[in-house]
Amino acid sequence: MAKLVYKLAMAAVLLAAIVWVANPLYTHYFFKNDVLEAKGKLLFDLDSLQYTNEVLYFGESSDLTIAETDTCQWSISQMIDKLSPKNVGRVSTHAIHGATYVKLIQNIKPDSKVKTIIVTLNLRSFGADWIHSRLETPLMKTNVLYEPMPPILRRLQVVFNGYDNTQTDIREERRMQHWQHDKINVPDTFPYKNVNDWDMAAGKDNIYNYVLPNGARNDPKIELACHYIKTYAFSIDVDKNPRIADFDKIVALAKTKKLNVVFNLLAENLEYADSLVGPVLVNLMRQNRDLLVKRYTQPGVIVVDNLETVTNGLDFTDQNWTTEHYNQTGRWLVARNVVSKADVWLK
Amino acid sequence: MLFNSLHFLIFLPLVLVLYYTLPHRYRWVLLFVASSYFYSVFYPPYLLILYFIIVIDYTAARGIENTEGYWRKAILLVSIAANVGLLAYFKYYNFFILSSNNIITGLGGQSNLPLRQIILPIGLSFHTFQSLSYTIEVYWKRQKAERHIGYFANYVLFFPQMVAGPIERYASLGAQLHIKQVFSYDNIANGLRLILYGLFIKMCVADNMAPLVDQLYSNPGKVGTLSTWLGLIAFSIQIYADFYGYSTIAIGAGRCMGIKMMDNFKQPYFATGIQEFWQRWHISLSTWFRDYVYIPLGGSRVKTARWMLNILAVFGLSGLWHGANYTFIIWGLAHATLYFIEYFVYKTPLVKLIKTPVGQWVSGAFTFIAVTLIWIFFRAADISQAKLVIKTALGIIPNGAVIIMPTLWQLLPVALFILFEIIIRGKRFEIWAGSYAAPVRWVSYALLAFCIVLFSGIQSYPFIYFQF
Repeated sequence: MAKLVYKLAMAAVLLAAIVWVANPLYTHYFFKNDVLEAKGKLLFDLDSLQYTNEVLYFGESSDLTIAETDTCQWSISQMIDKLSPKNVGRVSTHAIHGATYVKLIQNIKPDSKVKTIIVTLNLRSFGADWIHSRLETPLMKTNVLYEPMPPILRRLQVVFNGYDNTQTDIREERRMQHWQHDKINVPDTFPYKNVNDWDMAAGKDNIYNYVLPNGARNDPKIELACHYIKTYAFSIDVDKNPRIADFDKIVALAKTKKLNVVFNLLAENLEYADSLVGPVLVNLMRQNRDLLVKRYTQPGVIVVDNLETVTNGLDFTDQNWTTEHYNQTGRWLVARNVVSKADVWLK
Repeated sequence: MLFNSLHFLIFLPLVLVLYYTLPHRYRWVLLFVASSYFYSVFYPPYLLILYFIIVIDYTAARGIENTEGYWRKAILLVSIAANVGLLAYFKYYNFFILSSNNIITGLGGQSNLPLRQIILPIGLSFHTFQSLSYTIEVYWKRQKAERHIGYFANYVLFFPQMVAGPIERYASLGAQLHIKQVFSYDNIANGLRLILYGLFIKMCVADNMAPLVDQLYSNPGKVGTLSTWLGLIAFSIQIYADFYGYSTIAIGAGRCMGIKMMDNFKQPYFATGIQEFWQRWHISLSTWFRDYVYIPLGGSRVKTARWMLNILAVFGLSGLWHGANYTFIIWGLAHATLYFIEYFVYKTPLVKLIKTPVGQWVSGAFTFIAVTLIWIFFRAADISQAKLVIKTALGIIPNGAVIIMPTLWQLLPVALFILFEIIIRGKRFEIWAGSYAAPVRWVSYALLAFCIVLFSGIQSYPFIYFQF
């Protein structure tokens, strides 16, 4: 046994030496490539922007999508930058959510110029459809590369699967379980008490009666209605929802780093939600909005409620899907509202 | 739980400490709990399937042993039906439905039988085959039925090999689980050597080849001929390194507990013929099919035509065992065809030429190329994709725009792996390493660890054989 302990200790020392030697090599030659390969460019954006901007905007595709017809090519964060006298830096990429923002904010250094962070609060990201999305595993991996620790250790954590790398089919199964079992706060008289039943009724039974002029089922419209149900029909459970935990961490982190937080609760297409599915769904969206606004409105945090800011459904660039992508009219509405509601830190 | 995970790197030492601390009579409980936990990390509900297999086959074996005549066979059939039934549902249900729909539609009828969203339990084919071998052995009276369900459960669940083999027999693994394993430095040292080497093979070799292979199969028909061959060779290396790496870690983890498992690979790409290839590749499955399908069908002690049918059956079933897709069946049958060609060539005077040193080299190269081409059916998503890849490999489709170019960092670990395999030829890594003085050993450990730290593939590729 003593021999084994001695040899294991030797092995541990050898391993530590290897890691120590490998760290500068890895950092210099491979790290950047690994981060870029894992779509983690934001880390380098943040490194440069935090020393030149007083405000950083953390967002997802809502801050990257421009409509083909737009004459103004500015994103929401760029519009805020134009509206605010302060420099606003953009730290945005597609399909990220609260968990990524936490990791990125951890990388804001004490000597940075940043005083205020604007973080998109995307209502959809609180639903099972997104929480158990197939994009989650690669996102979790990228998040490891954002961990504030020596690059070689981040790499080791990635290659030794030190993140939630659940298989896609198991994620889909979990999503189905949520749709089947999660209760939603709908009126007692409403016949469907979970997403699954509601979705089946809308899809299979065509309860909204979407038909073409020739009397056949209007499948594209039915599919869109079902998608609205699956995306927005949920009631946030503050004890179990992982996004709540993420945004709680953001608030706590901001406090320790002495940063002001602006949560930009993004606009959703309530007009279409109402016309396709009806007021019960819209009411659920409003309930969740109210919960988030109430939970995060506190000293040091401003929640800008943009849920119903973009009232015209045609100002959403994706007419056949649920996204927070707006044309220039929608983006200006959101940006103006952010600057106006958070003027204390942005003006 | 993945072997190449932080989770496992904490789990294994913890289990080992408890294993050697606990009195022998309680170790089965530890192994049962540890193995159940190991599996539940993938998807907890499917542990119930494993428990079902355990209860059925334990009861069946006891029943077979305690009865005579017709009932023995009836109980065996129940065991086979339960195991094969699980496989049929979880693995082949959608394949059967799709095939039925296609056949009925092809015959002019209308069929739209619904598919099901089924999550395939990881390693189901391995558990069922391992467990089935036990009831068959008891039926043949070559194995006594286990009295203690805990030990039998550990035979099915034994975490180092439960997910992707080697497919062990009860006479070997079951017996070793009963023996009181005492702490031995050599066992731990050898086990850890194997784990280190296995991690290197999986993480540095297989996972660095995977992106090259993905490039080929995500652009079928658009890759140049030379690049196609690079991709095909990359897959030959990937599939071998992936599975060999897994088996090596499994054997190493078992060895740490004093359990010796069979070798699953003996440098198959050094084989000089297809028959020899199958004596070196996935040995535990090949011997399973030999013992429980080929020999009961009459083996080679039958007329040539019947023997050929037996071979076709074995390779066809082996293909189907791997996956519910026609591509796997074609893969198996292509191997059978090569097997026949080799058999008949060996009956001609050419055999003298083949047995010369140059002939052996040529034959070895031919075997590697043939196996590499046949892997196309193993890797392709469907037959049309396989056809496109074959056409680009043979230059039938004009040179595509996509170029596959490995980086130096991808090739270095492969070169090191080949070098190691040439140096240790005929031995296992731990035996080779153990035969050298400490400085040489430690330099080789350092080299492997350095490669894992710096050159392991950044993308996560699950072990390929998990899907079977």
